[in-house]
Formats: sequence, C-alpha cells, structure tokens
Amino acid sequence: MEVLDYSKELSVIEGRPALREIDEIISKPLNTKPDKKYFIALLVTLSMVGIGAISLGLSFYYGTGLWGNNNPVGWGLPIVNFVFWVGIGHAGTLISAILFLLRQKWRNGIARFAEGMTIFAVMTAGIFPLIHVGRPWLAGYLFPYPNQHSIWVNFTSPLLWDVFAVSTYFTVSFIFWFVGLIPDFATLRDQTTNKIKKVIYSVTSLGWRHSNRHWQHYEMVYLILAGFATPLVLSVHTIVSFDFAVSIMPGWHTTIFPPYFVAGAVFSGFAMVQNVLIFIRKIFNYEHIITLDTLEKMNKVILFTSMLVGYAYGMEFFIAWYSGVQVEQFTFINRAFGPYSWAYWIMVSCNVLFPQLFWIKKIRRTIPFMFVIAVLVNVGMWFERFVITVTSLSRDYLPSSWAYYKPTLVDAGILIGSFGFFFTFILLFTKTMPVVSIAEVKAVAEGSQPSHGEH
Amino acid sequence: MSNATDKKYWKTLGEFSDDNALIKQKQNEFEEGVTDDFEPNQLNKISRRKFFAAMTAATALTATACSDYRDKGEIVPYNKRPEGLLPGVPNFYASNVNGVSVLVKTREGRPINIEGNPEHPIYKGKVDATTISSILNLYGPERLKEPIKKGRQTTWEIADNEIIQKLDEVSKTGKEIAVFSQRLNSPAAMGILNKFKAKYPTSNFYFYESIGCSSKVNSASKNYNVNALPLIDWSKVKIALAVESDFLSREENSIYNTEGFSSRRDIMKSNDFIRLYSVEGAMSLTGANADYRITLKPDLHLEFLLALLNEISLKRNFSKVSISNENKSLISKYSLNDFIKQNKLDSVKVFYLVKDLISNAGSSIVLAGDSLDENTNSAVNLLNEILGNSAVYSSASRVFAEDLIDENIFDKLILDMKSEKIGAFINFDSDPVYHFSFKKNFPSALKKVGLKISLVSEENDTSELCDFVLPIHHDLENWNLFQKYSNVIDLQQPVIEPIFRTRQKENILLTWINGTKFYSEKVYRDFIKNYFSMNVYPKANSAMNQENFWFSSLHDGFAEIQTDNKNPAFTQVKIEVPKHQSGKVVCQLEKSYFIGDGKYANNGWLQEIPHPISKVTWDNYASVSPSFAKQYSVEMGDLILVKSSGGEAELPVVIQPGISENTIVTEIGYGRKVIGEVGNNVGSNVFSLMDSDDNFVFEVEVKKTGKTYDLASTQEHHAIDDTRLKDIHKKRNIIREGTLDKYKKDHHFLHENEHNLIGITREHKYEGVKWAMAIDLNKCTSCGTCVSACNVENNIPVVGKDQVSRGREMHWIRIDRYYSGDAENPEISNQPMLCQHCDNAPCENVCPVNATNHSPDGLNQMAYNRCVGTRYCANNCPYKVRRFNFYNFRDNFSDAYYENELTSMLNNPEVTVRSRGVMEKCTFCVQRIMDGRSEAIKEGKEWNGQNMKTACQSACPAEAIVFGNVNDKNSEIYKYREHDLAYHVLEDLYVKPNVTYLAKLRNTITEES
Repeated sequence: MEVLDYSKELSVIEGRPALREIDEIISKPLNTKPDKKYFIALLVTLSMVGIGAISLGLSFYYGTGLWGNNNPVGWGLPIVNFVFWVGIGHAGTLISAILFLLRQKWRNGIARFAEGMTIFAVMTAGIFPLIHVGRPWLAGYLFPYPNQHSIWVNFTSPLLWDVFAVSTYFTVSFIFWFVGLIPDFATLRDQTTNKIKKVIYSVTSLGWRHSNRHWQHYEMVYLILAGFATPLVLSVHTIVSFDFAVSIMPGWHTTIFPPYFVAGAVFSGFAMVQNVLIFIRKIFNYEHIITLDTLEKMNKVILFTSMLVGYAYGMEFFIAWYSGVQVEQFTFINRAFGPYSWAYWIMVSCNVLFPQLFWIKKIRRTIPFMFVIAVLVNVGMWFERFVITVTSLSRDYLPSSWAYYKPTLVDAGILIGSFGFFFTFILLFTKTMPVVSIAEVKAVAEGSQPSHGEH
Repeated sequence: MSNATDKKYWKTLGEFSDDNALIKQKQNEFEEGVTDDFEPNQLNKISRRKFFAAMTAATALTATACSDYRDKGEIVPYNKRPEGLLPGVPNFYASNVNGVSVLVKTREGRPINIEGNPEHPIYKGKVDATTISSILNLYGPERLKEPIKKGRQTTWEIADNEIIQKLDEVSKTGKEIAVFSQRLNSPAAMGILNKFKAKYPTSNFYFYESIGCSSKVNSASKNYNVNALPLIDWSKVKIALAVESDFLSREENSIYNTEGFSSRRDIMKSNDFIRLYSVEGAMSLTGANADYRITLKPDLHLEFLLALLNEISLKRNFSKVSISNENKSLISKYSLNDFIKQNKLDSVKVFYLVKDLISNAGSSIVLAGDSLDENTNSAVNLLNEILGNSAVYSSASRVFAEDLIDENIFDKLILDMKSEKIGAFINFDSDPVYHFSFKKNFPSALKKVGLKISLVSEENDTSELCDFVLPIHHDLENWNLFQKYSNVIDLQQPVIEPIFRTRQKENILLTWINGTKFYSEKVYRDFIKNYFSMNVYPKANSAMNQENFWFSSLHDGFAEIQTDNKNPAFTQVKIEVPKHQSGKVVCQLEKSYFIGDGKYANNGWLQEIPHPISKVTWDNYASVSPSFAKQYSVEMGDLILVKSSGGEAELPVVIQPGISENTIVTEIGYGRKVIGEVGNNVGSNVFSLMDSDDNFVFEVEVKKTGKTYDLASTQEHHAIDDTRLKDIHKKRNIIREGTLDKYKKDHHFLHENEHNLIGITREHKYEGVKWAMAIDLNKCTSCGTCVSACNVENNIPVVGKDQVSRGREMHWIRIDRYYSGDAENPEISNQPMLCQHCDNAPCENVCPVNATNHSPDGLNQMAYNRCVGTRYCANNCPYKVRRFNFYNFRDNFSDAYYENELTSMLNNPEVTVRSRGVMEKCTFCVQRIMDGRSEAIKEGKEWNGQNMKTACQSACPAEAIVFGNVNDKNSEIYKYREHDLAYHVLEDLYVKPNVTYLAKLRNTITEES
C-alpha cells in the first residue's frame, strides 16, 4: 500500500499540467463542433422535455384532475419533484461556497459544474410550485405586489416563504456562478479567433484584464458571496421543510425536519454531481482535473450525509413513540408497514443501506460501483420526498377520509419532462461554458502557487 | 450684455450673416414650383370631419366584427311585476314531490330547492334524500320534450287523434287495453282511470310494485281486513324489534319513522330512550342504529319468529290473545333454545330481547321488513297481538288503494299478449319491462300488442318498445291530489309552467276520454278541485267555505280529514312454513337507498350519495360477510357469478361486516339499459335473478369468475380485524360513546380524565354573533338526507364514478362510518362530517394568498376569486372536509352532461358556481345567514340567527342538527355545546372546532354485578 506523506499537501490535480494546457483542455469542448453523440443526447433530453410539455399542456387544458392527486392527498408528484429538485440544487452552492470557506481545494475542479447544476436544478424545481396550483394562470397571486384590491399575500404561509427562499437562492447562486465565470470568460475571449464568440465573451467578461487589482477585487467579492450563499444553503431546504413542518399533519409536524431536509439535500445533490461528473471527466478527458481522489471525497460526503439521514429516520420513529401521540405513532408504523411500505423500504435501503458500501475503499474508488450507488441514492431521495408527502396525507387523522394515492401517466410525464429540462440545460452548458473553472484549477495546479517547500 | 429679447438666434452661417438669398428663401414656405399643382378645388371632397367620422365608424365596425360578442339572450325586466314576486327574493310553494309533501323554493319562477312542509301532520317539515334531489329530474337534459311516434317527433294533436282512433278500434273489437302503473296513491287519478274504464270497458289496470310492502299489506288485509298499515306512535314505544326491517330508511313512512324514532333518543328532552333490536341478514341502516343487532340468515326469520312466539306465548305463557290451535301446534315445534344453538346466535342478546318484549308488552313493537313474505308478516302480526302492541299504533295509517297484480295475473297477461288478445298496452309512468326483467318472455309478448303507448318523462326500457312515447310532466309541473295517510289529503300544485311540450299523465287520459278539443292545463286541476269539494271538504269539518278551504289547503299543501279511530280487529290466519334447504346460499334483494327501484337511476346526485353503510357509489354489488369471502376466497371487487333459478348476474363483491353467513345482499334499481346517459349500465340488473314477483329472498349458487371490477367508494375498505386499525376512531377520540346507564349514573363520564388545553396565541374574542353547529349522534341515523340537501342548496356538482374512485367527490357534508368490535357483527358508529369552522383553523394560516380566512362571526370563509388552488389548506385540514375542483366538474362529467341551459336553471343563484382549480367547502350556508341578517336589519331586529336554518339542518328528518349563535346564552346551540355529552372531534389538536357532537349513548343493558 502506498504510504502517504502527511507533511505535504497533496495536489488535487494529477500530473503537472502546464497552465496553458489547462486553458486548452478546458476550453476544448467550446472550440470543437459537437459530435453526433452530443446531438443524440440532446435529442433524448429534448424528447423528454417534449413529453413533459405535452403532459403540462394537457394539465393546463383539462385541469389538475389528470394527476393522481385526490382528496386527502392534495400534494402529489409535483411537490415531490419540487422538493427533489431543490434538494439536487443544494450540492452546488455547498461545494462552491461552504467548501470554499473551509479552504477545501479539491472543490475547485468540480465547483463550476456543481454550481451550474444548482442553477438548473433550481430552475427545474421552480417550475413546480407554479404548475402544481389549480389555476396556474393566477400563480402571480403568490407574489406580493401592490394591487387595487389591497390584498396582500399571507405572510404566515410557508408556501410564501418558499417563494422568497427559492427566488433568493436562485438569484444569489446565479450571481455567484456568474462572478466565478468572469475570469474564465476573459481567458476564452483572449483565446478565441471567432468574432461572434469574441463579442459575447467580451460582454460577459465585463472587461476583465487579469490585472492584479481585478484579482484582488474578485477574491473579495467571491469571498463575500460565498459567505452570503452559505446560510442560504441551509435556509432554502429549511424553509422547504417548513412547508411540511409548520402544518399539523402527523409525520409532517416535526422539529427535526430542517436539519433532516438539509442533510438529505446535500446527500442527493452530491450524488447527482458525482453521477454527472463521472461522465464529464470521461468524455472531456478531465480525469486528471476531476480526479478519483475528488470523487472519493464526494463519496465520503455521501456516506456521511447518508448516516445523517439514517439518523433522522430513526429519530422520527423514536420521537413518534416518545411523544405518546397515537396519530403520530400510527403514521410512522404505517409508513413502514402500511400500504406505502414498498416506498418506505426503497427509501431506507437506497438512502441508508447501500451507501454503507462506501466504507469500503475499493468501492469508494471504483467508478461503476460509486455510480450505481449514487443513482440509488437519488432514487432513494426521490422516494423519501414521496414517502413524506404522500404517506402522511393518505392516512391522516380521520380514517374515514383515508385514500390511496396513485400517480398517473401525466404525473410521470411531468417527472420525465423535469429530467429532460435539467439535462438539456446541462448539455447546453457543457458546450457553451467552461464546465470546470479554468482560473480556479490553475490556482491549485502544482507549482502555480508560491511555495515554501523543498528548497 | 445684451438684452435677452434682443438675442439673436441663428441656425446657419448664412443666417448669421443675414444672407439675402436666404432671407428671401425663408419668406416662401414652399420652394418654387412645389405648389404649382396644388389646386384646392381638386382636393377630395371629403372633409376632415367626415374622414374622421368614416374612420371612426370603420374602426368601430372592425372592432365589433372581431370581438366574440355573443347574444346571451334577452334579459327582460318585469315591466309588470307579478304579484308577490320580487326579483332576488325566493317564493315558497307547498306541493308534493315524490309522494312527499314539500315546500318548493322558487326564484324568479324557477324551482331551485325542495324543503319539507313544516305544517304537514305526518312529515312535519321533513324530507328524504331522494325527494330533494329529484328536482334535478325537472331539469334533466334527457327529458322528453315532444310526443314521439315510432321514434320520430310528432305533435300532441296527431298523437292524440291517432291514439283515440286506435283505442276506439281496440275497444270495438273487444280486445283488452292493459294499463300498467305503479302505485298512484291518488284517489283523483283513480277517478280518471275509472272514467277511462267507463269509456273503454275492455281496459284493465295492472298495478304493481317492483319492491315494496305488498306482502305486508296483504297480510294486514288478511289479519286486520284493511288495506292499510298502521303508523306507530313512537312516543309510546319503549322496545322496537326490526326483523329485516329498514323502517328508518327504505321502507314506507321512513321520514315519519325517523322523526319519531329519533325523538325517542333525544337526550336534551329525556333520558328514557327507546331500545332497538334488529335481527337481520343484511346490514341495513336500521341495523346500524340498533342497540342490539343479531345477524340471522334472511330465510330463517320465520323460524326465529316462531321460536320467539314459542318462548313468549307457550314457554313463558304470556299472551294477550289466544292462539289458534293450528298455529299453536306449529309454534310448539320451534324452541328458541334450539334455534339459538342451531344458528349460533348470541343467546344473551336474544334473551334480553325476550325479557324486554315481555316486560314492555303493550309498549313495544315488532316491525317486519319489506323483503319478508306473507307468512313471516303474519307471524309478526301475531307476535304484536300477543304482546298487545296494537296499543302503540297511532290513529292514522298508511292506506293503499290499489290492488296489486300477482304472479298468475301477470303470466296470464303474457299469454294473452302472445295470443294477441291484448289490443293496447298503456304504460302509465312505470317501467314493467325493466321491473319484470325476470319474465324473460314479456318483451317479446309485448311486441305482439298492436298499440303500445308509454307515458313517461324519460325514455326507459318499456317506452323503447312502444309506438307512442308521450312526455309527461315532472311532479313540479303537475296538479294532483294524493292520499297516502288516512288522516290527510295531500295536494300537488305546479310551481313552474311546463318547460317543454309535456302533459300531465292524468290529463292525457282525460283528453282521450273527452276528446282532443278539450285539452287544457286546467282541465285536470278542475277535476281535482271538483273531487276535493265533493270528497275531501265534507270530511274536513272546516269552518271555511268550500272555495276558501280549497285555496287554503292548496296553500298548505294538504288538508286534514276526519277518520274513524277504530283499531281494526285481529283475525288469526294460519301460518305456514315454506320448505327451504338450510345451508344453501341465499340472495336477498333490496331497494337502493337513493335511486329506489331504478326510477331515479338517471339522477347523478342520487347515484353519487354513498351507500349509508358500504359507502359505495354508482353501483350495486354483492355484499357478503368476511367469512363468506374467506370461504369463496374472494376479495373486494372480485366478480362473482350469482345464479338463481330465475337467471344469473355477475356482481362485484363487497365484504360487508355484519352480513349473515351464506348470504348475498344486493340492491335493485341498477343495470338499466335505457334510462339515460347517467344511469345506463350503472351496476347490474338483479331483477333478472328473481323467480317470482314477490320473492326477494331466494337460493342461489355462487361461482368465482376470476375477473375483478372497480368499485367507487368514498371510504377505504380495510379489514376490520387489522389490529393496527382496530378501534382507531375511538383511540383518536373521533367517536366517543357510552351507554345510557353509564350516563344516568354519571352525567359527566365522557369528560373524565380530560386535561385542559392551553393555547399560546392571543385568541380572538368573538363579540356579537358567533355561529356554531351541534350534531346529536344519538338522533342521527346516517340517512344521507343532509348530503342531498346540501348538494341542492350549494350547487354541488356531480363528478361521476371515475372521479369518486379517485377520491374526488365534492360533497361538503359526508357521513363517516366506523366499525368496531366483531367482524361478523360489528358495532357501527356514524358521524356527519363537515367543515368544523375552527377558531384556530389550520387551513387559514397556510394559504399563501389569504383566500381562506375568518369572518368576525366565526365562519371559516373561502374567497373563490382569490384561490389559486395550492391545496395546502386541504392538506392541513385534520378533518379533510375541503373539496378541490380538480376539473370543471360540470364540464368533465359525462361530456358536459349537466352543463347546458336547462340544467343551469337549477343552480341556486345565491351560491357561486365554482370553477376548476378552486378549493371549496361547507360555508354553514352563509347565503342563508346573510339572508336572515338582511331580513333582521330590515325589520329592525337584533340579528341572532332567529328563523335561520342551514340546508342540512332543515332537511334532517331526525332533527339531529342544531345551528345558531353560541354567544346567545338562551339559544339551543349554547345548551348543546354546554351539554355533558358534548365533545369535539380531535379536540387535542386545539384547533377549536365549532361543530359540537353529542356522544352516542347505546341503550344497552348493564348487568348489575
């Protein structure tokens, strides 16, 4: 076994690529024409968007009745999808902001991509609150705007908090992402010979000249934005969890929800980033930039958050028992053994059991294994939201109104559409912007920083 | 500095230097030559004004042409206001609908609601679900609008002339004219029929009843020599035994019985409750309300009654009449102890029953069910006589004027039809082809009749085979005079002009009698008025003159008449026990709770009210016991093939706790082929299983088909013996019950071990009026009338079977049913559930757009316009009483079946018709509150909820619902809320609901230890 020298900081980039090489390899996808495979991929995702659009069109025309929602279960797949996608959107800002503040250099290779995913995931998530309402054409009522009726929104409603939380998160994430892109746009501008690209990059790079002063300001802005984004990472899913926790439904009304939701969001977000990065590093030959070490570190985060989530599952049961409230106790027993037990056990096995395999180093470092586990994590996390949303509603206080919720094809179409929407943006992203931060990778490339070692 | 005014401005250097050429050029506005061609006279003659006018007109025309303005019909004000009619103010008229005396609410000339007639001596302002919802039939989109001759529209004149001519021919040739009708209950209509017979002497009337009390009446005529069934004076009854009887819901006098029965379980008045025993094989609403329910296979009732007679009269030697020897010898064969052992009955319950019957002899009553045969009815009559129970009969009785046909007559008729002895067939508002489905050769025989006429309001199985289909009025367009009870004559008056070219069925006969020239809407009214003066007025003993009495009776909707109060003498008849094989599976047919014998199958509202026990809508099915299901290894929704000697039917299984073993119970009225879009092919036709017309219990064979079927139920059917779900409603304090004895010992027993709940928020003080409701679960029988009344009052849409099966029914009030105890004979608890208008309403704080909020008088309100439909409120409602418009249900149901100009007339204009995507729920009939308030303000009175009733409350035949202002310490509602039995559902949540429930007390016997 390799002996590690802990006195020395390990490089997060493998090999010693020249800075110029880094420029070239990262901007290469932007300078080459997309190949056939790319178009096939785009065709697939756009077809999925098409399916989603048709499903949505039908829903708008005929009404929400096309979905599986019924009387006790007022919220079905759209809300499950919303929470799922907001959760996916968590890893990006966590990686770029929190890990930045914690000086985790390994994040540099993956931050840009994770941020991009955040933006797209939040965009995908943002669709759902608007389309899930009964009268989407009046969704504007959800925003506080002055009107002649003098009707204000209801500030006690968690749904309204959602509107603010998600839109703030999106705005800050977007700015953070864009600020990070400025030096890279400048690099691309300097590189390109294409006039149109030059114009675009000139505009988007906001006159960046790589000057010392620019860098000084940039670092400060980046730090401030990171500081600003950090609480948002925690707040968004906290507030999303309030949608449930503030209500009085058994299984929803629990104080553990905010940390539990945040942990779950980081969990699923990391799994999604890991999944997509495995493809990116392979396709674009970034293996030495997004190294196996980085992926292993992500797997460790997945393992850790998996246990947090597992703890939350256990704690929910304990508190339900400890509360002595019959309804609460029943809800949890019903989750595990009632009509939705299949969903519950998918959730537990995917979220708690399978990730435990990451204790084994070999699995942590083997691409196919980690890929499959991360896919399962996302399946499990989707089911977690399903279990929370649906089981509590389908069997709440009065047994007389209990009913089983079954999603319809239209529900499935919208879910497929959301994946299509997300991956279409991902695909476009890979061909239009550097998916790895050129400037940041350069900063961690060996020899790029003044060093005191080995003189 | 130069003066500002002198300042020189210049544009070009030439100008600055005062170039002469330039100055010259500046003086001419136009360059030289430019204006040469300008000649004012040659200009277009259209002036500027005219041009603008033309352009404006053109724009206006274009705009008009492009707009989607539709002529929405004329809105014409009353130039001359009809007397007593104010736009926006409803008028109430007494009339008679579905045989019940009612008040019809009309707005601007159109009936929109049906309420009870409070002054009526029998109904006392009460109605039933079917009667209320039958208003939908008036506006039914498939009502026949014109006379039809062989499938093509024709006019009345042509039809009448042709029919008269043909009838004359038939009558000349001496062939029979067969007139089919169900019970008419109308001496006036009988008068018309007799007139008809006088003109056409070959005519014969065939009265029939698809399912009803004919065996009861037959045995009454043998036992008492009257065609009448006595009403029960419930105030005198202490013990009631229902033998397969559903006297609270599906049988005759159910409205009267419910009122009377519930008044004997009114804890606010007395704690001397009536005790109800029920012995039945089906699980009826009456059985669900029984204090002791004994399950017994439907074909064993006669033996059970004989065993009871044996125990009481022979063994315990208690008898107020002497039993004839033949009966005595029969009775002596049946020992109660043996019977109990053989059929594994609960001997404790049975002996309580025996003891109670004997010790309350003279104040108890045994009631027989409609499905029981004549022998069983005779046994019931004998039992009542032995106990001296005729003392509890009230002076009034339900009278029956028609002689019903029996099996032999019908068979002979079919033979006559085949041999073409029948010249004409008149279907007088009935449907024999459907109701006699088990007579397989009837339709083919009918085809041999030369002239077939149907007088119906909607096409049905019979009218389809007829040459002439003549459209008749709805009850609300009719004149008529009924006698259902010995002491009262009911009057029916039209409350709307005939909407279509329909005619009253009696009037059609009159036209045929008198000739077409004499037709007018008034003819039959005059006939009735004449009948009234001749036959009713003399019996009424009124101080008024004839004319005034007629109008006053018309105003009241009824006239009371004198009757002789003699109780008829009892004659014993020989009771015979028909042979039957024990252990075989029997099938019992019952009337549907809401669509009756299929007459209302095309009424979406009635199809959608859940069955009171199984909660299944839009279907009939085979109810079987859990043990039966195990034996045949069938589950809910599995299709079984039921084969009888008469025919066979495929029925889905519903596992119904409480059904006796080896028994299938199913409802008639379904499986119609021709009735309309709504009712066609809903369920299956089980008339075809019958082998004779008065046998509703017969042996069948059952086979599993392996197919399954989707049933739409409003309540999940989970296994009653699932330990996790067992008694969950009691653990959660949804249902709180006790026994009467417990209550008598300790009035406060319900609230022991309760702790005080503390709120942490500042609570709103309700000053002035605060609305609340109380529901007395002791009185509520769960008949579903409130649901029907709410539907009509609040424009509740019909959603259809597929939507109900997705849990999207829109009823604002529902009746929850919970089982507890034994799976084979469970205890049933019912609870009407509606918006609780919580003080701390959890729905309100989660609505992001403030669409649901609280009024100062304590109502939880919905602003439909503001609602975007997030459904968060419904999620957060612990009672799940909010209803979401997943579709525009009027449009969604059966291709917008109910969305048309005619059916829209039914909508209550005081209540918004909700669009899709909007949440809705019970409003406590806020429109009625506002109406009452404006009335009080107008009269200068303090508004206290006086004379105001919610729709469910005014309809409730049990008077179980109380509504009012709780801030008024003298109000009834205040007393209910402060009562020892009062509780709120899910009190611990501290949502502070405003619907109070009075806990049900079961009047069971507590053994002193």
